Amino acid sequence: MSIDDSLARFLALAQFFLKDKEALLEEPYRGNVGVIWALFANFCKEHGFSLIVVTGAASFVLLLEEFNDVSGTALILKTNESPEQTKIEWINVANIEILKNRLTSDSAFEESQVAVDCSSQSEVKPVFQSLFQILDGPLRTEIESSRKINGFDYDYSRLWDALTEPTAMVQLGKARAELTSTKKPYFEVCENKHHIHVITNTFFNSKTLGLSNEIPSNARVTKLLAAAQHMIDKEVLECIRTKIHFLPLITNYTDVNLGNCSYLDTCHKLKNCRYVHYFTMCPPLQPNTKETEKQVVAMEYTIGECHDSSTRKPLPPQWINCDVRNLPFSILGKFAAIISDPAWDIHMALPYGTCKDTELLSLPMQELQDEGIICLWVTGRSIEIGRKALGQWGYTVSDEVIWIKTNQLNRTIVTGRTGHWLNHSKEHLLVGVKGNPIWLNRKIDVDFIVSGTRETLRKPDELYEIVERIVGKHARKLEIFGRDNNIRPGWVSMYGTGRFCSFHLLQTIY
Amino acid sequence: MYSYPKYGSKGTSSSSGSTGAQKSRERKVAPQVVVKTEDPGAPFRKASSYEMDYSNHYIHTGHYPTQVIRNVNFQTDGYPKLQKLKDLKEAQVERHATKPFGAKVQTDQMISVLNKWASQGLQFDVIMIGALVENQFIVEILNLLPLFKLCAKPGFVFIWATTANIKQLTTLLNGERWNKKFRRSEELVFVPVDDTSEYFKPGVNDGSHRGEGNGNNESLLGRKQWHCWMCITGTARRSTDTDLIHCNVDTDLQIEPQGGARVNHNDAVPETFYKVVENFSNSTRRLHIVPCHTGYKHPVRVRPGWVVMLPDVILDNFDIEAYEQELHSKSYVKFRNTSMNGHQKLVPQYLVAQTSEIETLRPKSPN
Ligand SMILES: [Zn+2]
Ligand SMILES: [Zn+2]
Repeated sequence: MSIDDSLARFLALAQFFLKDKEALLEEPYRGNVGVIWALFANFCKEHGFSLIVVTGAASFVLLLEEFNDVSGTALILKTNESPEQTKIEWINVANIEILKNRLTSDSAFEESQVAVDCSSQSEVKPVFQSLFQILDGPLRTEIESSRKINGFDYDYSRLWDALTEPTAMVQLGKARAELTSTKKPYFEVCENKHHIHVITNTFFNSKTLGLSNEIPSNARVTKLLAAAQHMIDKEVLECIRTKIHFLPLITNYTDVNLGNCSYLDTCHKLKNCRYVHYFTMCPPLQPNTKETEKQVVAMEYTIGECHDSSTRKPLPPQWINCDVRNLPFSILGKFAAIISDPAWDIHMALPYGTCKDTELLSLPMQELQDEGIICLWVTGRSIEIGRKALGQWGYTVSDEVIWIKTNQLNRTIVTGRTGHWLNHSKEHLLVGVKGNPIWLNRKIDVDFIVSGTRETLRKPDELYEIVERIVGKHARKLEIFGRDNNIRPGWVSMYGTGRFCSFHLLQTIY
Repeated sequence: MYSYPKYGSKGTSSSSGSTGAQKSRERKVAPQVVVKTEDPGAPFRKASSYEMDYSNHYIHTGHYPTQVIRNVNFQTDGYPKLQKLKDLKEAQVERHATKPFGAKVQTDQMISVLNKWASQGLQFDVIMIGALVENQFIVEILNLLPLFKLCAKPGFVFIWATTANIKQLTTLLNGERWNKKFRRSEELVFVPVDDTSEYFKPGVNDGSHRGEGNGNNESLLGRKQWHCWMCITGTARRSTDTDLIHCNVDTDLQIEPQGGARVNHNDAVPETFYKVVENFSNSTRRLHIVPCHTGYKHPVRVRPGWVVMLPDVILDNFDIEAYEQELHSKSYVKFRNTSMNGHQKLVPQYLVAQTSEIETLRPKSPN
């Protein structure tokens, strides 16, 4: 680095201001020239600018004014009659940076040339690009730290990323759930209209099925497919083997212009319904696509699960069929999870016994759990009662899960006057937590379930496994107000408000 | 049959093959115990071998269960009549919409401005409050809003909420100030199809932390829902007040299309919700209050037929006189006889006129 001596004083000043920057404006200097001149004099001595002599505030102010001329007013000065009282109010670091680069770089003039040229097209583009980059960036002020420390100083985006990163417990829990849970068969739905066209032309039409409006059996469709196989090209056959196809059932009753039946495969008037219905052609279940039980011998991550979880067999289903209102809950022991689907006493004629709100609220639910979770199905009008009930039983609501109801064609239910003001495409499940169960596996699933509708009031089975993932596979789990089709391994079910009692419980309380 | 001893089995008796006579006898001496040897759930489970478990699929692939829903991009797929109805209604709404109005008001000024509007007799039939952005002062604003004065009867209020502040809002709605004047009647929900959504960013309203102030717990599941409460004040009968409301045109669930904000508008309130409101209420006086800055990443756009009040709305043209002129020229004005404090009074209603075709197509409500 060689530099004209006459310019050395500017370089010295630039380096001086770049060293401490705005810190000079704060305590203890407060931009006070009367103090800073001495600092600068010291700086010159230490950094080999021995030719520069600053003897007092007055000469320093002169120097600063000169510096402002060459740096494009990098310093905002508040002048005073007495130079001692002159203040530096602002330091434009960028200008000083530029000046320093000019002084130390050999190609200073070339650079200035480019700067002048920036009006030409080729130079405008990067400016726009960089502006758009700024617009696309995060909506936060990013402060570059001058200090080279690997901490979080000023680096808010790093801090934010660290804060929002899923915790190790969540990550491990997710990985374990993936490793230990059975992967169930999954088929995509074919969206290729040509395939449907080929299938309806060759073997699935009123000629082959007859005009009677009823859903053909799987066996019948399989037979028809086998007979027509030679007429269908390879690609379509392969697709039939791997994907689901929804085939329209067109009879002489059907008016295609009306569109789909709101009820589809649950239509009660199938025989003379004029809307379009469908047959679901599933790919044949091959043995290798069946549920494949994963063999996990041992798992080092055991938080929220039994240590012998991988070798332990789930308990067989247990059930009690009785009037839940008359059962002494204390004999059942404690549970880690409870699912409850009470028949809410809403003003509708339903073909089963309902339970009065007050009766529900007076159940001694507190006896069933010291620490754990409860899942309570609610309908629109009973959400408030449900919340109240959970509060009364000692729970805090942690989640509101929705079940997005889908129809036969994997679409949400948008027709059919399913709600009072708006149509209802979902149902709500309140989830409450009691005590301080640190052993829960959090955030493995999301707070919605997508599942098809079945019989009236039947809830999706997906919930059981979601709950098992939260409380652990072998935790004690209870379903209260279930129906007999709900009983399942690993769960205790209490159902019926009915007249018959039946009982099947294992003695050991885990 | 399991050979474990049973609980409470004082009179362990009978097998599964008990006759009807035996059963009726048992009924009287309950709790009697019948041992079932078969698992009654087995046939139900067997029958469902083809029902796929999308939650299981999510665990193994990370694909949201909403991804398999086939009518996300075109909700009325397969229902041409419903789509026709929506198209016709949209055209009518557009025909009777006032020009877009914006009122640029800082959050701390909103209450006084709204009080002024209310004292000048301005009323709205539909009021939406909030948006899908964090840092809103929803509860604070709601506590002070002259909502009962500002909202016509019958009137509809749509309030945006996260799972975290549902409890607060419930308390507010049932509290003294609101005095149950607004009844929560529907709960609209908005969910994404994948994790690229701008509306569901990690760390924002995701239930990672306990919110003691809200009274809510740390969540057990990944939070992927925005809630919009629909509240009603006054009386609206769905079968007879059909000039005011059309029920069952839309549904209470909206799903964000694939690709999230990258391919769609990233409005602070997705357009689909304005449409739900417009399809439901046939009134033309609509107000949207957003009590926070939403930034340019989630803008609130002005919309024909709506007055939008927020601190950073681009258009700031609201003027009561101009607005009322617009209302009168664009709306189908109908006078309705109501009794107020025992006095009969004719109240003007500003409506979207309906056509006979809409009347034929719309879902009818029973009495
Ligand atoms: Zn196909
Ligand atoms: Zn039908």
